[in-house]
Amino acid sequence: MSINMEGNKKLSGSPRINKVSLIGRIKSSLGQHTRQLTASFTELWKTPFATVMTILVLGIALSLPTVFHVLYKNVERVSGQWDSASEISLFLKKDISEERVQVLINKLSLYKDIETVTYISRHQALEEFKEMSGFSKALNYLDENPLPAVLVVIPVKSAMNTAGSKLLVAKLEREQDIDLVRVDIDWIEKLQAIFYLVVDIVIGIAALLLLSVLLIVSNTIRLNILNQRSEIEVLKLVGATNSFIQLPYIYIGAWYGFLGGLIAWLFTFILVLWLQSGVMSLTGVYQVQFEIISLNFQESATLLGVGALLGFIASFISVKQYLVKIEPK
Amino acid sequence: MILFEEVSKIYADNQVALNKVDFHLKQGEMAFLTGHSGSGKSTLLKLVSLMERPTTGRIVLNGNDISHIKGNDIPYLRRHIGMIFQDHRLLMNRTVLENVGLPLLIEGYSRYEIKRRSLSALEKVGLSGKENSFPIHLSGGEQQRVGIARAIINQPPLLLADEPTGNLDPKLSLEILSLFESLNEFGMSVLIATHDLGLIAKMRYRTLTLREGEMINDGLLRERNEY
Repeated sequence: MSINMEGNKKLSGSPRINKVSLIGRIKSSLGQHTRQLTASFTELWKTPFATVMTILVLGIALSLPTVFHVLYKNVERVSGQWDSASEISLFLKKDISEERVQVLINKLSLYKDIETVTYISRHQALEEFKEMSGFSKALNYLDENPLPAVLVVIPVKSAMNTAGSKLLVAKLEREQDIDLVRVDIDWIEKLQAIFYLVVDIVIGIAALLLLSVLLIVSNTIRLNILNQRSEIEVLKLVGATNSFIQLPYIYIGAWYGFLGGLIAWLFTFILVLWLQSGVMSLTGVYQVQFEIISLNFQESATLLGVGALLGFIASFISVKQYLVKIEPK
Repeated sequence: MILFEEVSKIYADNQVALNKVDFHLKQGEMAFLTGHSGSGKSTLLKLVSLMERPTTGRIVLNGNDISHIKGNDIPYLRRHIGMIFQDHRLLMNRTVLENVGLPLLIEGYSRYEIKRRSLSALEKVGLSGKENSFPIHLSGGEQQRVGIARAIINQPPLLLADEPTGNLDPKLSLEILSLFESLNEFGMSVLIATHDLGLIAKMRYRTLTLREGEMINDGLLRERNEY
């Protein structure tokens, strides 16, 4: 059996160094990354059942924070509509004369942060109460009208938020003829406090779920590395660097994360569709138009990107932890 | 090509695998390394291929002192050593062509170039037409030749073979050794570890004999019972 070496040249003892230009090296590196990116995707489907299972688990873990985000976004839209003091009731002192009421109305009308002032006299208030309560006969037996006169103030738009309305209330409370200023914003503030507490809890749960994504991918890659130990040893024996060997594992991790993100997006989309009809029938009862909005393009891209990034980080950790330590024996 | 100066290797359990071994394998030289099981043959090859580090002494490979080489440089040095193993160390889930082309893939050659050179290497070892087979479907001798094709594909200046004929019949063993001779004729230094004294006697090459980690003979093997 005879042999002919490439070009029939005698071999030199010293290592051959191929000088490659910077552009050549960049091209070669990009080519290698592209090859590994596609090869790692193909590699995933050599064990389709295990891959699908892993991706589904990642998808569920990622879909929970995504659904929380969608709910938060929609609840914020609703609470944003409530975050306003559309009406302030000013209960006047009982002994105030009609002339002084007129002076007060004129004064309030000059406030820059007040849009309109509506006067409800004590008599009007009693009549309204009789009508609303259904106790008109009983109320007739009262010696005097117990209700005060009321000024209903509607602030300008800029003063309708929590901070603006608080400022206006403070100014109104300084008026001598006003006995009590009432704004129906306290319950919104309480609701918001509960909402923010729930948001904090949800952020904590989301962080734990994202951590679980890291652990799942990291463990999957660790098992892949341990299963392919002999292959890694052979690669090292024929001169592969750690970075060459680790590249497919890192890309596989990133693919897991990306595909998990895709599943999470799908789950979220289906959930929003499913909730839509229920929410519409609920809002229909209150004669309000409200539609749940799902993830927009930017949020969808962020979800896929975060999934891929988590997979990348997890596999990188695993590779640094296990692959580097494998040496041929 | 390979220079050993008072090289010792003592493993963690205080087992002395090599004790102050000196030898020099010149560029383009072919030699056998022999000795009983546990004499230190495999340890010596592992030291050359940087799978192990010497406890004391100095190893020079291609003019580079590799005794204290940094871990990051090892892969680049291994690319200049062709290694052949008794158990072939082939990737069973890859085709013959993919196995042979591995060293070129690692060095970033194009797919076309890898295929061209892999087919050429397979032709040299007499395995044309087997490129799409999987190693599991080949005989022991064919697997060994795939391992040789992989070892020579990037034309390394040094070829190390650890019991390359261990699982082969005498006829095939001679064929493999004549393949090594052909490679040596093109300037490749070849070091073959074997305990097959009959084969060594037929080939008449320099023979390094190890016993219990010590070099007891360096030259032509005269008698079958010399070690």
